[in-house]
Amino acid sequence: MSDSANAWRSSGMSELDPEAMRRFRKVESRFLDVTGARGYDEVRTPTIEPLHLYTSAGALSPQLLDRVYSFLDWDGWSGERVVLRPDATVPAARWYAASGNDVARVSYVQPVYRFEPGDADRELWQCGVELFGMPAAEGDAELLTLALELLEALGIENRRVDLAHAGLVRAVLASVGLDTAAQLAAYDRMVAGDESVIDDLTAARPEGAVALRLLSGVDGDSPGYVANLRTALLPLVSGIDQALTDLEGAARALDAAGATYRILPATARNFEYYSGLTFRVTAGGMECITGGRYDGLTESVGGAPAPASGFAAYLLRLADLAQNGGAS
Amino acid sequence: MTSSDRAPIRVALPRGELRTPLAKQLRAVGFVAKGYGDGSRVYRFEVDGLPGVEVRVFADEDVPIQVALGNYDLAICSRTWVDELLVRYRHDSIVPLRSLDLPSEPVVIAGAAGTTLEGLAAGIVRVATEYPNLAHHVLSRLRIPNYRLFEVWAQSEAWPPDDAELAIGPKNDLETEGLTVLAEAHRGGVWLIGNRESLSRRALDAALAPLLSLPLGSQDIGVVTPAPLQLDKGHAAPAPPPERETFRIAVPDGHAQRHTAAALAAAGIEFEGYEEKRADRRPRSSIEGVEVKVMRPQDMPRAVALGGFDLALTGQDWLGVFRSSFPSAPIDQLCDLRRSNYELGAVVPNDLPAETIAEAIAYWRKDDPGRTIRLASEYASLADQYARDKHLGRYRVIPLSGASEGFVPEDAEILIEGTETGETLRANGLRMLDVMMHSTNCAIGHRDRPPGRRGELRDEFVARLRGGADDAE
Repeated sequence: MSDSANAWRSSGMSELDPEAMRRFRKVESRFLDVTGARGYDEVRTPTIEPLHLYTSAGALSPQLLDRVYSFLDWDGWSGERVVLRPDATVPAARWYAASGNDVARVSYVQPVYRFEPGDADRELWQCGVELFGMPAAEGDAELLTLALELLEALGIENRRVDLAHAGLVRAVLASVGLDTAAQLAAYDRMVAGDESVIDDLTAARPEGAVALRLLSGVDGDSPGYVANLRTALLPLVSGIDQALTDLEGAARALDAAGATYRILPATARNFEYYSGLTFRVTAGGMECITGGRYDGLTESVGGAPAPASGFAAYLLRLADLAQNGGAS
Repeated sequence: MTSSDRAPIRVALPRGELRTPLAKQLRAVGFVAKGYGDGSRVYRFEVDGLPGVEVRVFADEDVPIQVALGNYDLAICSRTWVDELLVRYRHDSIVPLRSLDLPSEPVVIAGAAGTTLEGLAAGIVRVATEYPNLAHHVLSRLRIPNYRLFEVWAQSEAWPPDDAELAIGPKNDLETEGLTVLAEAHRGGVWLIGNRESLSRRALDAALAPLLSLPLGSQDIGVVTPAPLQLDKGHAAPAPPPERETFRIAVPDGHAQRHTAAALAAAGIEFEGYEEKRADRRPRSSIEGVEVKVMRPQDMPRAVALGGFDLALTGQDWLGVFRSSFPSAPIDQLCDLRRSNYELGAVVPNDLPAETIAEAIAYWRKDDPGRTIRLASEYASLADQYARDKHLGRYRVIPLSGASEGFVPEDAEILIEGTETGETLRANGLRMLDVMMHSTNCAIGHRDRPPGRRGELRDEFVARLRGGADDAE
């Protein structure tokens, strides 16, 4: 791209040329076919949302909130800022909360907007699904299977699933004596890449050191590993039985699907957002799908409590991977 | 040696309260910008014995943006204004170099006595602040679910408890107003900063050496990242506030005070504690049920739109600034007070060979058709509107908080500025090329007439002010 052409374009924004659009439409079409066959109906949510939708939901970390495109529109005299949609799940949860449905399966293909450093893309096309009203074991297995089916349909090979659990992280942090606020503060440090937080916590609470070290230093690739984790952690940490059961169920579902996976207990992304199992799928070492369970979200956006989970993928990354079969 | 090595080293220094103690320290390390410390209205200085160094004075809050833009290589300013920029624009070109031993004020969150952040967070929290980016940073980390930021020009302490739940501002100002500090947002500090590209590409040692020998300040500075509040998830929508019975009127302080006091006197309206040279925060009216509050005229259109005031005496310029940002805000001018006359428009250097803005644009772009036109102004939204209306093409608005004299031609092509007589412009070698608006002071109110006695009182006040304005004419 010439400098003179870039002078007429905002940082991080770019066109999709005809060839890129053909690849885009191909992935979009496969995505809608695969998810539609499983009963997921497409929705589209507004591009501009009130900022407080996201702050109220507690769905985005402060670090991500710092990177949203927020501004004052013509109604901004009220002090209410608006944002370009930084995330597609919260608006979908709002739709579900107002819909009165019991179980709902929805899919979407739409961009999210986030500040990224330098020339990195700031308009990110996502395709994703949300599954509302379906509890952990059944819902988690459905989403993991669907994610793998999607990649299969796109011809993306070399797939691996990484599993974690937000509830497990939370319970272990609580076991070393941290209240909710301190758990969030400790997690903020983890998100910021501050690995010394584990050292600080074990120094302050030596009795919980074993739990923290097991959480951050051990991972596995079978239901048997979860059984070992259960044996080691249960005497130390209360309230983790459900988390371990969720992990075990997910591992069995992936075994049944013949998938390759790892269990990395302490790598739960968006700790505040997710309440249960979280997962990411990589192909050729490149992350292509991320998702998890967020059972508290519908309540935060004005609805009744309901089980909820979902996953999303960057569509253009899937298109790149689909072109070369999953090699990074 | 490259051409940039031969260009002067440009140093930005703050005016205001920092000026006197900083000038003293600069003299002690041999960085003598003659006249900097004496409070004169001179804005550009040479430095004794350093022929390649130029000093320019800015309002403290305008310094970081000048360094970020690359207009200045080095600068000294309050760390709060640096971080106000950096917490939102992380990849900026500002490099904090050294904490200096100069007086500064922490920025805190404060509310009325007896309030707590946990208690307020159950409802919509209205927050008045001059530091919207720092406010967003600290409020999001506290996990306050639902807040509204009122970005005010100054005096955030004037807003709580009746017009906002919280103010985020300098600690001393908030405490003096009787507010209780609930949390810290920024620990203050004064810093030497540099432009990243200048530091990487240019030899700045002639200025850098003396500035780095200024006394070292506290390292306990910077943005505060508070622990999250422990709040219940899921909360009921707060009940709307009861209909207000008191008639509330806002009157300005500062430059507008003299003209407003005259307009009130001409209308036969007296507020005890509000005169040409005196303004209590809450002057008193002899009319029962009338409440008077002094605030910045810039912030009145928002306060009226929000429904906090039934009448406010401000300027048409500030009404124009507000409307250019928020055209649908529910406010109307109720009466032209016909005082404080001045013109607002595009100001350029006297020697610019152009008689119209079109000629000026053609002149600036004669060698480079894609050149960015820079507009500097205290009225940033009006400058933006002007650039759009005049089809300036690629332009950049540089917000200013004052000290605009001498800004063109070096730091901007156009100033959007107001002038009463033109004398100050002439004294600074400037002229108004294009008039945007004639401004006088005015009374404004909500588009919807208030119900009951408040509506009657508004009609009565407006009628009396109109009579006084007729006399002024």
